[in-house]
Amino acid sequence: MANARALDKRRKSVRNIRKITRTMELIATARFKKAMDRATAATSYTKRITEVVASLAKSGTEVQHPLLEERTATDNAALIVLTSNRGLCGGYNGNIVRETMRQFDSLADAYQNVKLIVSGKRGITNLEFRGYSADETYTQFEDEPLFEDIKPIADQLLDEFIAGRLDRLEVVYTKFISSSKQVAVVETLLPLGDVGSADEESEEGGSDADFEFFPSAESILEEVVPMSFRINLFKCFLDAAVSEQIARMVAMKSATENADDMIRNLSMTYNRARQSQITGEIMEIIGGVEALKS
Amino acid sequence: MASDTATQNVGRITQVIGSTFDAQFDDDKLPDIYNAVEIDLGENGILTGEVQQHLGGGRIRCVALGSTDGMVRGQDCSDTGAPVSVPVGNATLGRVFNVLGKPVDGRGDVAADGYRPIHQPAPVVTDLSTNTELFETGIKVIDLLTPFVRGGKAGLFGGAGLGKTVILTELIARIASSHGGYSVFAGVGERTREGTDLWLEMQEAKIGDTGRSVIEQTCMVFGQMNEPPGARLRVALSALTMAEHFRDTTGADTLLFVDNIFRFSQAGSEVSALLGRMPSAVGYQPTLATEMGALQERIASTKQGAITSVQAVYVPADDPTDPAPATAFGNLDAFLYLERNIASKGIYPAVDPLASSSRILDPQYVGDRHYQIARQVQTILQRYRELQDIIAILGVDELSEDDKMIVHRARRLERFLSQPFLVAEVFTGKPGEITPLEDTLRSFEEICNGKWDHLPEGAFMYVGSVDQAEEQAKKMAEG
Repeated sequence: MANARALDKRRKSVRNIRKITRTMELIATARFKKAMDRATAATSYTKRITEVVASLAKSGTEVQHPLLEERTATDNAALIVLTSNRGLCGGYNGNIVRETMRQFDSLADAYQNVKLIVSGKRGITNLEFRGYSADETYTQFEDEPLFEDIKPIADQLLDEFIAGRLDRLEVVYTKFISSSKQVAVVETLLPLGDVGSADEESEEGGSDADFEFFPSAESILEEVVPMSFRINLFKCFLDAAVSEQIARMVAMKSATENADDMIRNLSMTYNRARQSQITGEIMEIIGGVEALKS
Repeated sequence: MASDTATQNVGRITQVIGSTFDAQFDDDKLPDIYNAVEIDLGENGILTGEVQQHLGGGRIRCVALGSTDGMVRGQDCSDTGAPVSVPVGNATLGRVFNVLGKPVDGRGDVAADGYRPIHQPAPVVTDLSTNTELFETGIKVIDLLTPFVRGGKAGLFGGAGLGKTVILTELIARIASSHGGYSVFAGVGERTREGTDLWLEMQEAKIGDTGRSVIEQTCMVFGQMNEPPGARLRVALSALTMAEHFRDTTGADTLLFVDNIFRFSQAGSEVSALLGRMPSAVGYQPTLATEMGALQERIASTKQGAITSVQAVYVPADDPTDPAPATAFGNLDAFLYLERNIASKGIYPAVDPLASSSRILDPQYVGDRHYQIARQVQTILQRYRELQDIIAILGVDELSEDDKMIVHRARRLERFLSQPFLVAEVFTGKPGEITPLEDTLRSFEEICNGKWDHLPEGAFMYVGSVDQAEEQAKKMAEG
């Protein structure tokens, strides 16, 4: 039987771990609600603006916008990777990293230069370890990313795209589908064409209304298309934030349960060890007394 | 037993307590301590006892080395004038004896060169050999982590059913069959069936390609669990005495296998209680360390010859801090601890790579490379063990990348420590693997350095060198 004291020590450390995981679970639950409200609020706006862009694009006017054009050049691509700053969220970062490596490799085959932009400490170190060093990193995004913070990043990318220094922009993030389903996905944000058509198909029924553009379709496009890109990028950050909290919630819940099981088993072994130690000692004393008697 | 009735010193039985008995002699003719006394039990044969205590007033207390059935007060008890003596020399080879040195294999009497008392002093300090040399077994985990010493002592510790006897028979099959010298096997308090199996196996096994069977170079002494405690207490000494004779007279390397040294302590405890000594820690005899020391010190290599001994040690209730295994531990050069968790993963031999050790796992003896590789393997496995609680609670995903790599390699190393055995071939269907030390070292070095990270874990189970793991991986991939 194992040493009772060692067992007790181990049980104590498991208890401490359990305390941490339990707290993390509660915090994640609270944050998840907030993050989800923000994400759902943004969803309607994003959907609508994407629809508008889509209907503008097919409104028949021969309008062209640089962001909507399909590029044939294969010089520069960029890959944005959204991971978390903190760990203890199960396979959340692992899935993203796996997806990133796959996507980065296939982009690297097609494009001459692929720029890797990583947000989140976990992703930065994780990718670094696997030999993918990021060209640009962000660590300031927590569970409540602000539009004001993302706008400059989006604008910079827009400028590069318009100037022709960037031909394709993709983002790897965990898409929030429902509170029980999140998937690591790759989406193409630039050129915008792909996003529009993809969403349009699903929304076809409701958005068939004919719009009249004032003062002109061109001027509206000029304003709305970049906005659509920014908001889409923002949405990715929001989705990632919700998914992170859910992942953490789930991971911590199962960790707490595992810790509970372990404590139960350790307690049982500990009690058994302690009992057998006591029995042994009693037997020794009795044996000694009996031997002295005779 | 040589005895001359004319000059015999005869006493009378005064008390029988289980397998101990008291006898009354003349006050001035007391038999010496450890002398053998004989009692004629009529149809139950002759019972031999050993004098343990002088109780005063001409009374002595003895331990019976056989069954005390049919013994009554008042029977004659004659002093043989000497301790129990066993036959020694070449005539004992190929034979099976009991504790008294009587053959029990049904092949008639032994025409021995001579007889030797089973109580002997340990070799003196100046006679001991100081040579330290590695003894290769071809078993990866032993050669790498707990290298045996030629002329040294190795212990196999383990709880019930972890494969101590299997490893011991495997070592006999490996060592004795390639070994030129003599072997002595002592069966102490274990199953009689195992002894019979071993005897039959040895008759079949051949030494190298000489065409002679292993049994021709071996003698076996049995005092199994059906025998009274006195017999189990002394049978190890009987076997050791035969081995000592080979060492002292022939100068050849002698192998001594003992299964199971714990039964020796256990028998000592039973006898001690019957002799009325006060029990000590965990109910063992107060003289536990003395008895073990007296036995172990005799198993030594001298300038005349070497005894290499392998002993199985039962660990009661898997508790290595129990006094019996703990006292045996200190006397050994190499120490293998068999672990239930490893056995339950299906990894045999279930040697715990972290609890096991060897005196010569030191750069001075095995060389720097061997030492570094062994330490590296242990470091990885140690880290893996530390991480196991965290993995159980949080999952592998939460580990840092470095730790993930360690876990990855540790799981492969753990499986690679398994090895198919020659003696287990009939059960597993896999031929036994004898892995040369150089292959073992290279394999572990490469696994530690990550050369084989791409192979699936299953490929490392039950193979010899790592090249075989690669082949096995190919076979697995083909389905």
